[in-house]
Amino acid sequence: MLRYFAMRLLSGAGMLLALTLLIFILTRLTPGDPIDAYLDPNVPLSQEEVNALRTHLGLDRPLPEQYLAWLGEAARGNLGHSLQRFNETVTGLIAQRVGPTLLLMGSGIAISIILGVSTGVFTAVRRDTLPDFALSATALLGISSPAFLTALLGLYVASVRLKWAPSGGLLTPGAEFSAWDLLQHLLLPALLLSIGQAALIMRYMRASMLEVLNQDYVRTARAKGVREFQVVAKHALRNALLPVLTLIGSTIGLAIGGAIFIERVFNWPGMGLLLVSAVETRDYPVIMGATLVIGSCVIVVNILTDLSYALVDPRIKVG
Amino acid sequence: MSWKSRISALALALAVLGGGGLTATPSSAQTRTISGAFDVGPGGLQGNFNTLSATSGFTWLMNYFEPLVIYDDKLANVIGALAKSYQVSADQMSYTFNLVDTKWHDGQAFTSKDVAFTIALARNAKSGSVFAARLGNITAVENPDDHTVVIRLKEPTPNLLDSLTKLLMLPEHALAAIPPEQIAKNAWWSTAPVGTGPFRFVKYVTDQYVELAANQDFRDGRPAVDRLINRYFADAAAAISALRSGEIQFTYVEANDVPTFRDNRDYRIIEGGSFVVNYLGFNQEAGLWADLRVRQAVMYAIDREAIIKSLYRGAAKAANCVYADGRLVPADINPYSHDPAKARKLLAEAGWEKINGSKPITVLTYYNAPLTNNVLAAVQSMLAQVGINIVPRAVDTPTYNATVLKVPGNAQDYPLIFAGLQNGPDPSSINPGLNEKQIPPAGVNIARIKMPAVTQALDSALSQTDQAKSAAAYQEVCRATNANLPWATLWVANRYGVASNKLKDFVWMPAPGGGPYQAHPEKWSISQ
Repeated sequence: MLRYFAMRLLSGAGMLLALTLLIFILTRLTPGDPIDAYLDPNVPLSQEEVNALRTHLGLDRPLPEQYLAWLGEAARGNLGHSLQRFNETVTGLIAQRVGPTLLLMGSGIAISIILGVSTGVFTAVRRDTLPDFALSATALLGISSPAFLTALLGLYVASVRLKWAPSGGLLTPGAEFSAWDLLQHLLLPALLLSIGQAALIMRYMRASMLEVLNQDYVRTARAKGVREFQVVAKHALRNALLPVLTLIGSTIGLAIGGAIFIERVFNWPGMGLLLVSAVETRDYPVIMGATLVIGSCVIVVNILTDLSYALVDPRIKVG
Repeated sequence: MSWKSRISALALALAVLGGGGLTATPSSAQTRTISGAFDVGPGGLQGNFNTLSATSGFTWLMNYFEPLVIYDDKLANVIGALAKSYQVSADQMSYTFNLVDTKWHDGQAFTSKDVAFTIALARNAKSGSVFAARLGNITAVENPDDHTVVIRLKEPTPNLLDSLTKLLMLPEHALAAIPPEQIAKNAWWSTAPVGTGPFRFVKYVTDQYVELAANQDFRDGRPAVDRLINRYFADAAAAISALRSGEIQFTYVEANDVPTFRDNRDYRIIEGGSFVVNYLGFNQEAGLWADLRVRQAVMYAIDREAIIKSLYRGAAKAANCVYADGRLVPADINPYSHDPAKARKLLAEAGWEKINGSKPITVLTYYNAPLTNNVLAAVQSMLAQVGINIVPRAVDTPTYNATVLKVPGNAQDYPLIFAGLQNGPDPSSINPGLNEKQIPPAGVNIARIKMPAVTQALDSALSQTDQAKSAAAYQEVCRATNANLPWATLWVANRYGVASNKLKDFVWMPAPGGGPYQAHPEKWSISQ
């Protein structure tokens, strides 16, 4: 088990290294640099002034040198300074943003698991009934709806029309911190983030449950007079969860993508918003640092998902 | 853990999260606060606090910083701000400013030394200032006493006052210790800036909002509200949602969003000219546009009035030269009324089939709004009808700048551009985009226009020191651009803001770069 864990960590580190190199090359291939993002067509700057700015930011050095310098510093825990913000360190910026993103993603994933698993089990148990048809149709709609549509529609209905939730931000500007205020701002984006994933989990859960409910051991349990709730909750659910767990693990990456979009629509100050604004302004150190952190998270979650199989199903031995 | 105890734990957690003891107590409940999206739209610059590098964002910055002189609320005249009055010498070689008696937010007196310090810093390119070139004609800044400043020039500079409206005064006592080369990204700007305006800086919550509090000692009286909050939004649509939900009281809106606010008594629509002329810029190095008849054909092919009526809903003014302001436009210039038959004839005479024929021509633009996409689609269709096949390519600002400012330029990357350039309130603003001396890397004549008649007209207008003759000089610029067509000038569109009717005495206008203009933020108030 330990050896397996170490091997996965090692391969994860290799993947991270490849990821940073890929992102470095892609950012440098993208037209425009931080100076171009800074320039205003109405305000002429002389070539000397532009060159001085490029030198000051280290953008005139050869690309391999720039990458190795970044890598060397990153290995020592220094991700550099933002090129566009007021002397803020990338580590500091990321530290500010990780919490809100984890909160949003964690809440979204938790809601999607609760909604997806419960409705999946319910529709499997009530197969071919009106609630089953209705929930399955809703799930299909949830899967088919692009994130930008659900986010904007949700914002319009829940915030603009019904005024049930704030239209964006983490907290009420100028207000003292309170958990209730945070929850009010969190609920709508987390709910919207969860829709697609909840629908997906529900469909997998339903299919998996239907398969398990037809197994001999479930029939045996029923024949032995075990109560239906016990049959579903103890005998069927645990076995049906295994493929769903794989799905949940593999969709964490998708959830990060969704969170980036939701953060932009709701102005949620997380990693997604940071990354998007960094790309728009060609803030190279922030792009590299944010990618490193997000990539690390995806890799760690995938390793944890693999390890969790063993906990859910004792028949599986990893390593 | 049993099912029952798990459910109990969950219920307890929810009770703790939703408990009444944790209810938010926004301090806004006790104070009068105006919240707005002051940095949304083309006049805004979210995340920039450095006034020396600010090319826009003045709508917000002018609430806590002030310039020496400022445009009035019609953008028609330059009037005093931190200078209560000013005199220009007869030879226009020196400007004398008489300063108001006021204090910085930290209690220190504002003096002529602060003015001299600010101008010196702004002229130092090491500070990252965008004013270095614009203030290049200054030879000396003298401060004979604490309330008088004299600026001396090496030659008459008619646009000096316009430049000074954008130069916000900075406190010497707070910034003198910071080396100029470290000032551009110094944390002072976003953590502890000190100005003289009606509001003082409180805090910036990264990418969320900026908070200002009333300057109790403001020389024109304490502001009517306690706080101003500038909410940040990733796009204008999100700001509109916040306005509709009542979280903010003001935002910029795109022209196509305006109808949704019409006839709604909760909101006031504020409309004004953008002072930006939109144009199709003919890249003179592309080898397609050398013949004047081809450029004329483009003008005749585009039905500008139809686009203005159907897409801008009438909220734009056709531009037959680089200006649309009546006092700068001579009556006898060519109106280029829509005439596709004439366009086809001109193209045939010029031999367009041999020059390019139906090969696609990329139109590079940094405009990404839905309205602009529709406008370019309409232009594409109109030009196709006369045999010019354009293909719009919208990119982000860094990509646009990297493409058009490259030296040497690659004309094939952008044979045509769809862009906008400021043409007022100071008409000389147009010079950097058209003057032959401003071809990159010297300036931003990105279409690489080398038209002696245009350059000569611009040089002549720029050197005109007699205010009475200035308008006539710029009429010649209009005439030269109308006759030579360095660009296919299209229109000057209106821009919009929407304010809640709860706001009283609120002044906003769609000034280029957000101003500055005299908005009297100290008078703004909000009804509960």
